Amino acid sequence: MIDQGPRDAGQARELAKARAALYRLLSRVFVAKPTEELLRGLKDKEMLDALAAYEVVFGPDFIAAAEEQQARELAVEYTRLFFGPGPHIAPFESVFVRGEGEDRPRLWGQATVEVANFYREAGLEMAEGVTPDHLSLEFEAMAALAQAEADKRVEGDAESAEQLLAMQDRFCREHLLRWVPALCREVDRSSESSFYRNMALLAQNQVRTQCGENDLIC
Amino acid sequence: MRTISRRDFIKLGVASAAVMAVESQLNPIAYAAEQLIEGGRSVNRTSGLPRSFLPSTCMQCPAGCGIIGYVEESHLVKIGGNTKNLSNQGTLCARGQAGINAVYDPERLLKPLKRVGARGDGRESGAWEEIEWDQAMEEVTGALTSLKSEGGSRKLVFLTEDRFEDDLGTRFTHAFGSPNAIGSLSVFGSNKAVANQITWGADGDMPDVANSKFILVFGANPLESNPQYVGMARRFINGLSSNQAKVVVFDVRLTNTSMMSNQLHYVNPGTMGLLILTMANVIMQEGLFKRSFIEKWTNITPEELAGNLTQYTPERAEAETGVEAAVIRATATEFATTEPATTFTDATLSSHISGVQNERAAMLLSIITGNIDLRGGLCLPRKFDLVEPEPAPPVPAPSALSNPPQFPLASQQVGVGTFKQIKDLVEPVGVLITHGVNPVYSNPDGGMVEDVLRDETLIPYHVAITPFFTETAEYADIILPETTYLEDYNIEVRSSPELVPMVGLRQPVIQPLKETRSFYDIATELATKVGGGMEKYFDFSSVDEYLAARISRIDGLTQIGGLDYLKQHGAWYDPRSRPDYGAYQKAGFNTPSGKIEVKSQQLAEVGAPILPTYQPLTFMGQLSERDMVLTIYDTALQTDAYTANCMWLSEILHDNPVWINPKTAEEMGIEDGDTVKLTRPSNVGEAKERSVTTTAYLTEGIHPKVVAMANGVGHTAFGRIAQAETIPYKEPPKVLRDPNTELVWWSERGIYKGKGVNPKPIVPISLDPVGGGEAWNDMVVTVAKL
Repeated sequence: MIDQGPRDAGQARELAKARAALYRLLSRVFVAKPTEELLRGLKDKEMLDALAAYEVVFGPDFIAAAEEQQARELAVEYTRLFFGPGPHIAPFESVFVRGEGEDRPRLWGQATVEVANFYREAGLEMAEGVTPDHLSLEFEAMAALAQAEADKRVEGDAESAEQLLAMQDRFCREHLLRWVPALCREVDRSSESSFYRNMALLAQNQVRTQCGENDLIC
Repeated sequence: MRTISRRDFIKLGVASAAVMAVESQLNPIAYAAEQLIEGGRSVNRTSGLPRSFLPSTCMQCPAGCGIIGYVEESHLVKIGGNTKNLSNQGTLCARGQAGINAVYDPERLLKPLKRVGARGDGRESGAWEEIEWDQAMEEVTGALTSLKSEGGSRKLVFLTEDRFEDDLGTRFTHAFGSPNAIGSLSVFGSNKAVANQITWGADGDMPDVANSKFILVFGANPLESNPQYVGMARRFINGLSSNQAKVVVFDVRLTNTSMMSNQLHYVNPGTMGLLILTMANVIMQEGLFKRSFIEKWTNITPEELAGNLTQYTPERAEAETGVEAAVIRATATEFATTEPATTFTDATLSSHISGVQNERAAMLLSIITGNIDLRGGLCLPRKFDLVEPEPAPPVPAPSALSNPPQFPLASQQVGVGTFKQIKDLVEPVGVLITHGVNPVYSNPDGGMVEDVLRDETLIPYHVAITPFFTETAEYADIILPETTYLEDYNIEVRSSPELVPMVGLRQPVIQPLKETRSFYDIATELATKVGGGMEKYFDFSSVDEYLAARISRIDGLTQIGGLDYLKQHGAWYDPRSRPDYGAYQKAGFNTPSGKIEVKSQQLAEVGAPILPTYQPLTFMGQLSERDMVLTIYDTALQTDAYTANCMWLSEILHDNPVWINPKTAEEMGIEDGDTVKLTRPSNVGEAKERSVTTTAYLTEGIHPKVVAMANGVGHTAFGRIAQAETIPYKEPPKVLRDPNTELVWWSERGIYKGKGVNPKPIVPISLDPVGGGEAWNDMVVTVAKL
């Protein structure tokens, strides 16, 4: 069956909004340790159901645990996974992707420059001192583009909206898809916590969907 | 393939939004989408104006980095780095970004000027008259035509700009019938080029610092000044951080590079050659050399070399260089036993009367340890060759100006001596064209240069082609206002620090300001008007044809679009190519013997020592207590004569107090901030100016027998920003309103009211007898408190 894309303008708008929200969530999850509110929100019935559609399933232990204790444990896990000390997963594209002419991936390497250039081209401004190719920032950029797309759809400017959607697709294909699956594997291997394994899976599934590798049907 | 329904996806979005609604945003890290794009175009965040951008090549220093000019409504608003340039890879230094200031210099020359006052009254009111281009071209054509018709074609002297690939200037000169297209390389360091050329057949080197494990630096400062500046600094830092290279620096001054090194050792001025040869001796004596490499790839045996080096004992070196014998031994041993290792030098080591010898000595360390053209070693330069478009003008027979007979090995002309030669009537001059260069400021003995330029019997007619009213343009008869590097075209090739050849394009990121014209347009029009056969060498349908011909032999590039590709991307290198280390193993070295000529027959023929030799400077050991050696150092903020009119740069670096070691200062009774006078002893060389006055800056960061001043400031022309507004022109040539000039807050500081002083005029012309390059670092001065 050939999918013909969104049913109507209304659905296209809702999809853009949904994408913006999901990317914002992903951006939040990978930027810092979780708060109790975040954990509580994720355990909401609606959320759990929605996640299940993406085959992201939390076990009863995770759902039953007290958020206060859980937040403390996950703070340690977050730091261990993404900061060290010691071997850790540096969540930067340039650590995963070797640029043209680079003999091996290098932090702040060519990928970083390419990502920064994309932001510049897209009119996205970075706060001072951030690293452009941090996972969280890449998702935030996606969120910003999706939100702008949604806004344009509300205004009825379909042409601009389509261009914004194309930019999301492009960024996702040229950047996120290059390394999020690998990062997901690393997290899966390195973490005992279902929280980060599931969030990485969510990230990977969404990146695949955006790039058309997962099928979005009516 | 996984599937998800749109309805479920929207539900996931709604749920995510709900989570984020209660979750207070920690650290929002991007200010996203405030002024979001319409379909991928760049817009100004505050004004919403669309921005266009074009890649080009920077000319604020010789490195030739890739840049992108961002333009809003025909106005250049920002210069950034071009990631597609292999050298700088998107990074850009302060000078590059400040190029905007050069384009919009409020005192840029925007119309041709003709002198009406006396020659040299450049700054006086009523000295200049604005004329139309037609008239200006007619006058210059007249001067050139009458020179030609009198059979005096060879009396054209054209001083070219070595920062650019100024081959069009050379082409013009040769087409006119004169050999005298003279570059300025010998002012800035031809000794190294000559030493490299005669030793291994290439006029440069490229230390592969990013892959080295041990970097031995002799007086060089890649983190602040280097011909490949940003590209080299980036690789140097990579070597330090990613590769954990050890860096040992020998210098007379605490530079940024030495601050990043593992060790810095002060060396007595002028004795670096001895230090280096002593290390070579240690390596040979300890048997740490690579016998197979020496035997196969050099023209000397280890035994002969070792025997020759025995005179350089660590104990002797300790006495003369001031570096402990134990340090010399340890450094030499570590250098020889760490693989890969490289030496690192720039023009400073060879800016001595024995500059060629010093550079050859440094090369020797890499040679005997086999660290030649291998990953992490001292590599041969890689560079694309450009084509001289057909028909190429024949090169006229050399003259004493273009190829001074006393320097047969200096393949680059010895431009540093040109004005002295003109003064000494070595060759008569009919018309002098200065293109971009500023010898009054840049050359040693600038006072003499001024005298020659002022003298209408020596220089009957002087055409200055320049965007700015420089110290040299003040002595012109006619000034043709050229575009800046951001408004015209050229092909730029440099030897690449990545060891993969690359070609860059300079193209106008904005249209030429007012009535300025590109050098291509000026040269082509003049050639056509002068005629007499020279016009056929400038018969291009457009500048594109000329540029396309220049790159026509770079195969990979022509296959993907040639000039069109460059216009779109700014630079090209073969993305599949990797450094071809050790290519010499197939073809040999480009020397008469095909080997590295440790023993140089070419040197023997000019009566110079055949083996790398230490030649003590004659003044060493004779320095009185008050005598000091003056070193004039380059910074990362000003490029010699070319950048001081850039507001952003001069705001940071505008003054150049003299560095003095506190111990020395105490002996002389000098305190920090005192006014001091540096005077050249009467028996040390000849230069019109003998002394320079500045303030003292006391710092442990300098050898006790050395004083140092920064280059690039202290202008007496070049606009009000370069001069910190202290000497306003009485009748400025059309001052544009510019808020920058009103922001010069430093104009009351220091004894020069904010602008520093140029010490180079007190330096006598003193040339390495082989390399023909200036011996800047042999300058002796006495220091006295005023």
